[in-house]
Amino acid sequence: MTKEYHEIDDIIVIHYKYSFGGQSRFFIELKNNKQIMGTKCPKCKTVYCPPRIACAKCYETTEWIPLKDTGEIKVSTLVWYSTSAFIQNIPYAVGYIQLDGASTAINQGIFSDNLVPSKVKPGKRVRAVFKKEREGKITDFFFVPIDEYDDWIQKPEFEGGKNG
Amino acid sequence: MSWTMHGIGNEYMTRRVAIIGFGMTPFKARWPDKTYFELAYDACNEALQDAGITIKDVDSAVYGIYNDLFERQFMPDIYVNDYIGNIDKPGTRVTTGGATGGFTVRTGYAEVASGLADICLVLGVEKCNDCYDKQTGTTTPEVLKAIAYSADMTWEFPLGMLAASSYVVLVNAHFNKYGNPTEEQMAKVSIKNHGNAFNNPKAQAPMKLTIEDVLNSRIICYPFKMLDCCLYSEASAALILASEEKVKELKAENPVWITGVGAACTDAFIGNRKSIGALPSNIAAAKQAYKMAGLDYKNIKKELDVAELHDAFTGQEVISYEELGFVEYGKGGAWIDDGGPEMHGELPVNPSGGLIGCGHAVGATGIMSTGEAYLQLTERAGKRQVPITKGRAISHSIGGPGAAYSAVIVLER
Ligand SMILES: [Zn+2]
Repeated sequence: MTKEYHEIDDIIVIHYKYSFGGQSRFFIELKNNKQIMGTKCPKCKTVYCPPRIACAKCYETTEWIPLKDTGEIKVSTLVWYSTSAFIQNIPYAVGYIQLDGASTAINQGIFSDNLVPSKVKPGKRVRAVFKKEREGKITDFFFVPIDEYDDWIQKPEFEGGKNG
Repeated sequence: MSWTMHGIGNEYMTRRVAIIGFGMTPFKARWPDKTYFELAYDACNEALQDAGITIKDVDSAVYGIYNDLFERQFMPDIYVNDYIGNIDKPGTRVTTGGATGGFTVRTGYAEVASGLADICLVLGVEKCNDCYDKQTGTTTPEVLKAIAYSADMTWEFPLGMLAASSYVVLVNAHFNKYGNPTEEQMAKVSIKNHGNAFNNPKAQAPMKLTIEDVLNSRIICYPFKMLDCCLYSEASAALILASEEKVKELKAENPVWITGVGAACTDAFIGNRKSIGALPSNIAAAKQAYKMAGLDYKNIKKELDVAELHDAFTGQEVISYEELGFVEYGKGGAWIDDGGPEMHGELPVNPSGGLIGCGHAVGATGIMSTGEAYLQLTERAGKRQVPITKGRAISHSIGGPGAAYSAVIVLER
């Protein structure tokens, strides 16, 4: 039994000129200097990456510090089905990476020329690779297994960073 | 107005609150012949009839609606309020992702417990499959995109995180630490919940499955397969909450008391958590709710007849066995192997079918789960009725980016 109904095509679009506010320095350093920045709480010494300009534990103003572009996978997954914004990218890996010197882990894509679960396992060492054409957005960089790093930075659209 | 102190000690200077009515629409993939406010009306109408009251008797309403993009409407609650005729009375929206239902029940409880209302309508509703992806000619990728906008727009959305991936990283981290849940143990949850749904005439996804069926279903994000994931549903669900005086005045036939409510939010940024393979919010919400009900977290399994848990993904149901205190940390996988949460097991979990079997109409889901616990305790759950010997049940909701929200409700008859 089908009931009567009427459908239309519709879409919602909003344009922004969005400011990253106090986090802007992260994106400026990323775009201009291929430098990943964190922030350190002067009191509890927590190093935040993603950075935050105030510590939620101590309510202290944090200080900007450069971080290394190497780190360790804390956890990850391989995505085989996704949103309409990403379905053309499958399969892809995303995970949480703790950069050397940071206390927290940052969500980021993990790229590999041989994308299998063992490549992106927790504990695996990774290194950041940067796009040559950077816009000052989180997608300006990604991580690769450390043993693939030299191959990735040879690719024409990518390059290595400053490494702290 | 009478005030009754309850709970352990005298910490809870609140009025007792009962559920006196419940209604829900069937959970379906899509209701093209109903708008969200028309769906909301149907559950509201059924709950009012179940309680033997009319909308005029309602003092205030709380609306559980998750996603404005699903509804194609910002502030959809005010149009629900119009449509059900709750005019010149307060109606307040609650929105906490997949946990919206549980948090809405909690807010409704507070309305009555505080004395702000004698009768409160708790009404959840959600559409989703009006979202449509033109690339694939299907709804799901666009539904997932509408959900993904809940992730942090600067640090997470641009990377392709989705609802399943925020749960799967928890499950993977838990597996790395404890060696479970295995893919087979997760498959057993899928088999159980899809199987239980056969006894729920309002369920969306009754299915008879084998472990191989689940393991061989399409991979979504490693190691979750299609049959480890709940479906997106459209539905509404409603509860009528009443003060003790109103219960007496109305001579309510089936009052079930809300004796514990707990809720907590953990870090939405998973990378900020001390331990990735755990939801401390689940533990905090459960401990709060049990303490308020005068129950022991360590002995909780023996205190309950039935539990409706948030099984958006099979692996999370297994971890919740541990975090809600049914078994020790790391022993969740073994408990499903032993049949503990099965219909005839030690403590039946999700006789309704849960989110996997009944469906996940986000804002309505936790209200459906609480309503199922209410039906069980009033012995009106039909073919899926479990034996009621202790007179006590819980419902549980999780949601939000990083599955950061958790709510637990304890019901007693
Ligand atoms: Zn600090």
